[in-house]
Amino acid sequence: MAVTFVGVRHHSPACARLVRDTIARLRPAYVLVEGPADFNGRLDELLLGHEPPIAIYSFYRDAARVHSSWSPFCGYSPEWTALNAGRAAGAELRFIDLPAWHPAFAARGNRYADAERRYADATERLCREFAVDNTDVLWDHLFEIDADDLPGRLDAYFDLVRGEAEPGPDDSERESYMAAWVRAARADAGDRPVVVVTGGFHKPALEALVRAGGTAWPEVPAPGEDATGGSFLVPYSFRRLDAFTGYQSGMPSPEYYQRLWEDGPDGAAAALTETVVTRLRQRRQVVSTADLIAARTLTEGLTRLRGHRSPARTDLLDGLVSALVGEDLDQRLPWTSRGPLAPGAHPAVAEMVAALSGNRVGRLHRDTPAPPLVHDAAAELERLGLAGGGRITLKLTAARGLERSRALHRLRVLGIPGVRRESGPETGADPVLDEVWHVDTSDPDGTRTAALIEAGAYGPTLGDAAAAVLDERTAGAGGDMGRLAEALFDAALCGCAGQSGRIAASLAAGVAGASDVGALGRALDVVLGLWRHDHVLGTARSPLFGTVIEECTERILWLAEGIRGGPGPADRARLGALAAARDALLHASGTLRVDRDAALGVARRVAAAPDAPPDLRGAAFGLGRALGDTADPARAVRGAAAPRVFGDWLAGLFALARQEVIDPGGTVLAVLDELVGALTEEDFLIALPALRQAFEYFPPRERETIAGRLLARRGQGGSARALLRAPRDPLVVAEARALEERVDRALHAAGLTGGRP
Amino acid sequence: MPLDTTEPQDTVDPQDVVDPQDTGDQQRPPAEVRFAAELERLRENDAGPRPPGWALSLTGARRFVVGDDALGVTRKFVGDTALIDRALVTLATSRGLMLVGEPGTAKSLLSELIAAAVSGASTLTIQGGAATTEDQIRYSWNYALLVSEGPSTRSLVPAPLLTGMAEGKVVRFEEITRCPLEVQDSLLSPLSDRVLAIPELTGPDAMVFARDGFNVIATANTRDRGVNEMSAALKRRFNFETVFPIADFATELDLVEQEAARLLERSGVGVAPRRDVLEVLVTTFRELRNATTEEGRAMDRLSAVMSTAEAVSVAHAVGVRGWFLRGEAGGAADIVECLAGTAAKDSPDDLTRLRRYLEQQAPRRDGEQWRALHAARHRLPG
Repeated sequence: MAVTFVGVRHHSPACARLVRDTIARLRPAYVLVEGPADFNGRLDELLLGHEPPIAIYSFYRDAARVHSSWSPFCGYSPEWTALNAGRAAGAELRFIDLPAWHPAFAARGNRYADAERRYADATERLCREFAVDNTDVLWDHLFEIDADDLPGRLDAYFDLVRGEAEPGPDDSERESYMAAWVRAARADAGDRPVVVVTGGFHKPALEALVRAGGTAWPEVPAPGEDATGGSFLVPYSFRRLDAFTGYQSGMPSPEYYQRLWEDGPDGAAAALTETVVTRLRQRRQVVSTADLIAARTLTEGLTRLRGHRSPARTDLLDGLVSALVGEDLDQRLPWTSRGPLAPGAHPAVAEMVAALSGNRVGRLHRDTPAPPLVHDAAAELERLGLAGGGRITLKLTAARGLERSRALHRLRVLGIPGVRRESGPETGADPVLDEVWHVDTSDPDGTRTAALIEAGAYGPTLGDAAAAVLDERTAGAGGDMGRLAEALFDAALCGCAGQSGRIAASLAAGVAGASDVGALGRALDVVLGLWRHDHVLGTARSPLFGTVIEECTERILWLAEGIRGGPGPADRARLGALAAARDALLHASGTLRVDRDAALGVARRVAAAPDAPPDLRGAAFGLGRALGDTADPARAVRGAAAPRVFGDWLAGLFALARQEVIDPGGTVLAVLDELVGALTEEDFLIALPALRQAFEYFPPRERETIAGRLLARRGQGGSARALLRAPRDPLVVAEARALEERVDRALHAAGLTGGRP
Repeated sequence: MPLDTTEPQDTVDPQDVVDPQDTGDQQRPPAEVRFAAELERLRENDAGPRPPGWALSLTGARRFVVGDDALGVTRKFVGDTALIDRALVTLATSRGLMLVGEPGTAKSLLSELIAAAVSGASTLTIQGGAATTEDQIRYSWNYALLVSEGPSTRSLVPAPLLTGMAEGKVVRFEEITRCPLEVQDSLLSPLSDRVLAIPELTGPDAMVFARDGFNVIATANTRDRGVNEMSAALKRRFNFETVFPIADFATELDLVEQEAARLLERSGVGVAPRRDVLEVLVTTFRELRNATTEEGRAMDRLSAVMSTAEAVSVAHAVGVRGWFLRGEAGGAADIVECLAGTAAKDSPDDLTRLRRYLEQQAPRRDGEQWRALHAARHRLPG
């Protein structure tokens, strides 16, 4: 009996319907589904009666690589439907694809992604032909709304895209493996039908491959000796399903397709319009009845214009956006551009996208075996002697103390109740080496186990799961340096900083978007310190921190060149940032990718920029000197000697290169002495506060050196230390001098003094 | 963006408003004349139902704008098709259409094309400005006749709005936000009640009721005064559509190449622009416009308009410089020289931003032209 191939798009309700009807009609002996073959022994577990969305989470680790991926199932997934309908029809069920850990999936985080890069050209041409904006709209237009002769249309579509595409070696390997299963099932079924449900892209190749070849059941590949790996079921959510981007993404708007699957297009449109309006009204946006009528009319019009029998997803969205948005938009509509929604989107658009994305969360049947994380957490706590709970003091300098601390931090990062740190290092610069924890493992109401099961979706072990959560946190922090630094320090505490990879990528992206130069400087300072010296948490020379240093340095230099402004008080935060960048350039340039020449160029330009603030110009000059520039500092000091900017400029210079002043061979001190000595009384009073601030960059010992040298220069003896100790509060002295100056002027105006101006 | 493929003029329908014989030396005939042959083919093959007063069906009008290879209809607007759909459906309802966006995003072209498709005429146009008065929108009088005969339909001089209402045609209102608010509000009753009162006349002539097919397409520039100052009452009578710069790099590059080549040919330049130079040019424009690099690094936004149209004119200038100064196609160094005039025309800050971009972002890129661009950074003035 023939094999019936159903080529599907993953997560397509129309395909799910076709699969369900085909299986009900044929009542096959075998239903073969694209999915991880190593899960075949546990299909009963998958069919226990969960509430989708759920996912098979697969992980793998060997000496060469670490990989984790999800195979998500919604209620309307063709694969899910195939399994359930097949079971109902009494068929044998098999997953027939390679396991998720197989190298063929090395680049995939989502097994059921569209991976449409392979046939982008063909779909682009189709989009042009049908005058639609992207493949999602094209798919809805061709298959989801008006499904006359769905199998024929699907065949034509996938034949076209397959005919154009270059299948990679990964595809070929997977297809020949799947074909072996199909041949074996066909031979075994005898004269009973076999139904094969795979991605439509593979269908033409499979049809060709099953014509000839062996009929033995294929082996399920097993991971190597030194590798660990496995798969388990986790609850999934529409939010995560919709969060895959780029080539990892599948069909968007899961809640819409759920409704489409349950209620059909008209029901879905009505229900979602209602949700959008309710959400908007909850946010106190005005949505009038007239707006709703307009939305309805426009949706209707678009539906007809585009030749649909009922409104498709974008007919609904386009109608709503026309009616509800009464001003210009800042960003393209996400359903047109296929990108994620950037912050600051119009509230109506944001609510529409959120409503169609949905917040459904799956639930596993209570007989489902617990994910490995639950066992791993218990074993770890037992091994580290933490299972008893109580108040625990840890020494981070001892190996075992550090290990215990990491386990507890991982639990904390995962949000597992019952672990609370009472004290310990707060930032990377905190010289605290002890931690005090309060641990409670009793779990009277089961919340702890529930939290562990939920966290199980992030990974099989505490370390993997914590790393995945930190990855999510960094990705969600955007350009907020505070949150990024917090996540980074948590990574150090959890011992996850040794892994580069995705956390580093998210951090780098966040830093590249940051705009607060002071915050960047503070973060760089801490990270650089840890990267250079930290052997307690083990982050010294960690690649993750290295990436952050590179990105921060580049970003600070970029931002520094953009700062404009006239004279103003020196900004210590930005001077600190430049100083941190200088340290990174001096101490990391051999090991990390930081470009000293480029930095020198920036320093020279900023130092010479007339519209940059004086403190920044001084700092840039100092940075240039620190990086080996040979410009004459004495000349530069003279150039900046206007009373209103002098002190600020010096503050910048001293923040970056105070060595210039105390250097015994230098000329800067002499020039300073000369310039300050030449100031009129009034100018001196103007320059005084900023000058005082500038000299605060010198520690007391260096101030004493300067004082000594000044005395020597003027040929006077006496104690330099005594010179530094003012008999009165300097503020009082300054006020007195200002008062004297005013009195002098008054006397002069009254003609009571002699030659003074 | 305009794909300005001028059709041969001998196929123009003689019934068209403008005599085809006279368009030969026109610099830019209106869309219904330029694309008369396409409109004619679309009319002949138009089976769909037409909204009352429309010259084409919705599908026909859509095909006129987004193109139809089978009928030999060119694609005239490179942008989201969904936007065209929404715009056409809006016009078929009772709300006006407001196209907003940055300068140089082809809003006016789009409004011209839609008006030509929907009404067969795109010339009922009001150009908004600080000096626009109600007379120029609704109607005014022939004062000689008014004095000698008094107010009558003979002495009445209709402006585009009155004509559009009386004949059931689409009226275009360009740069509406540049008009004073009270002048903008003269659209209120024509848009909501679909009637224009002429109190000077008596009897049935005193009220002009809009015929089927009348609607208004307004355009507004987000850089000028924006739409925030428009009265809420008027805003409510429009559906807003934001027109964005071209999203896809390859599409924009193709368009710039095509348009620049056309302009260069017209300027007597004997060599086509180099693709790698244009790639650098278009990337630079896109990054400065979006204020992020392709790798996602945030930058400052330039206050100058970095539209595709500006990119085309820089590409044109680059080609002209290269050819007439050195007899070749023009390179990255010419881009720097020409960019200064485009990017820095509004403020010296832009020049600084541009310099910073050339100094710090350009050297991160690989490729001969990027290196040349970086090396030529000193050519920026100042």
